[in-house]
Amino acid sequence: MKGADAALGAAGLAAFLALCEAVPRLGLVDEDYFPPAGRVADALGRELSDGAFWSALGDTLTGWALGLAIAVSAGVLAGVLIAVVPYLREATASTIEFLRPIPSVALIPLAVLLYGTELRSVLLLVVYASFWQVLIQVLYGVRDVDPVAEETARSYGLGTWARVRHVLWPTALPYVMTGVRLAAAVALILAVTAELVIGAPGLGARIAVAQTSQAVPEMYALIVVTGVLGLLINVGARSVERRALAWHQSVRGEVAV
Amino acid sequence: MLDVHGLRKVYEGSGRRTEAVRDLTFSVEAGELVCLVGPSGCGKTTLLKCVGGLLAPTAGEVRLAGRRVEGPPPGMAFVFQEYGRSLFPWMRVGQNVELPLKQKKLGRERRRELVADALESVGLADAAGAYPWQLSGGMQQRVAIARALAYEPEVLLMDEPFAAVDAQTRADLEDLVRRLWRERGITILFVTHDIDEAVYLGERVIVLSASPTVVQEQLKVDLPAERDQVHTRVSPRFAELRTRVYEQIQAAKRGGAGKAVQ
Repeated sequence: MKGADAALGAAGLAAFLALCEAVPRLGLVDEDYFPPAGRVADALGRELSDGAFWSALGDTLTGWALGLAIAVSAGVLAGVLIAVVPYLREATASTIEFLRPIPSVALIPLAVLLYGTELRSVLLLVVYASFWQVLIQVLYGVRDVDPVAEETARSYGLGTWARVRHVLWPTALPYVMTGVRLAAAVALILAVTAELVIGAPGLGARIAVAQTSQAVPEMYALIVVTGVLGLLINVGARSVERRALAWHQSVRGEVAV
Repeated sequence: MLDVHGLRKVYEGSGRRTEAVRDLTFSVEAGELVCLVGPSGCGKTTLLKCVGGLLAPTAGEVRLAGRRVEGPPPGMAFVFQEYGRSLFPWMRVGQNVELPLKQKKLGRERRRELVADALESVGLADAAGAYPWQLSGGMQQRVAIARALAYEPEVLLMDEPFAAVDAQTRADLEDLVRRLWRERGITILFVTHDIDEAVYLGERVIVLSASPTVVQEQLKVDLPAERDQVHTRVSPRFAELRTRVYEQIQAAKRGGAGKAVQ
């Protein structure tokens, strides 16, 4: 079954590529703005052999990874703190609900004012967007603590810190993982957006340059690269999730005795 | 060993005031196995949580070896009815048993000894590496019992521990509790809604009234120490005792206070 699925998937992709090749060649769309897949592939090949492309990729990944790391640590820390300190949840709920829906891109002018086109501009946007993804999931997760598990821990004399470590954290972990996966995707979007709009070095800035210099196939090639990047990030996040949650119902499935 | 005096618990919340436990006084001697039995909804679990220091009583007090219980005391272990939720699914069986011992700051060698010994005595010596959810319900409850044993408590509190397992497993687990009690000399306070179980297990049965709860009757179980599922349950004395407890519970349900016999 699995082999058949994979074959069907490959066939679908091949058909899509063939369509992208055929439609411009048949003159259905303007070849200048929508080059056939073959020319995009050529452009991609040229990009891959260009050192500047790799350093742009490095810049984007740096902004993504650093921003994600900051957002995840801050989100987890804040979430656990809000869960553990009495009344903090009630006190922060309205503020969180207000700040969370602000689109990160609305902060672009602020980022430019503060940091210009530096990496820190990218980080500001990435962190702001992904932080909420993580925080919200952590807040859901810590609410999921089973009262029986909590009472068991208390009855065996586990203090606050031990209960956070042995009960609250493992309970919240599946939610944290979901948050990290969502945040990883959002972080990539924001990293590329920041580079594209602000002009901070990276794939986004390179896409903007390709566009202004009429290098349309190169522009498509770079877009394809960002897509592949998103795909890899999602696959990576899922495999980390499966490993960390081997004990969890969603991963372990039904187990025979 | 364990003294409960004038215990009262009132739940207050959203305008409703529920008196779960009115006035309970009883004591459990060191090394005794006492069963608490009462009609369903009579506040048995509330009572046990107050005894275990998990709930603060509204009035009255609980004393363990003369010291007032204000939080979960180190000398007490709790076995819950919901074994599946009480064991941590992210830890293997051995780690589950070991966790409370780490909190006790015991050395690694001593922890290993206690875990191996406790699992051995509940018949799960080979299961240390498994996850709880890979075991059957009865085995999971054995793990929870092993965790309590390894903790080396003076008093073991058991809250309807076998209510969720099938009848055969239940009989095995009852015999396990009797055996562990005789071997280790632990003091056990066992809450159940099952009259047969209370009489079969206990050296003494405390019958509780319907909520708001008071002690309806205390009954000494003068069955031989050596009990088994086949013979004890058909002995005439067993039948008398269970009838007696049954009548008291019926009386409790009707709200009539049966005469208290010490």
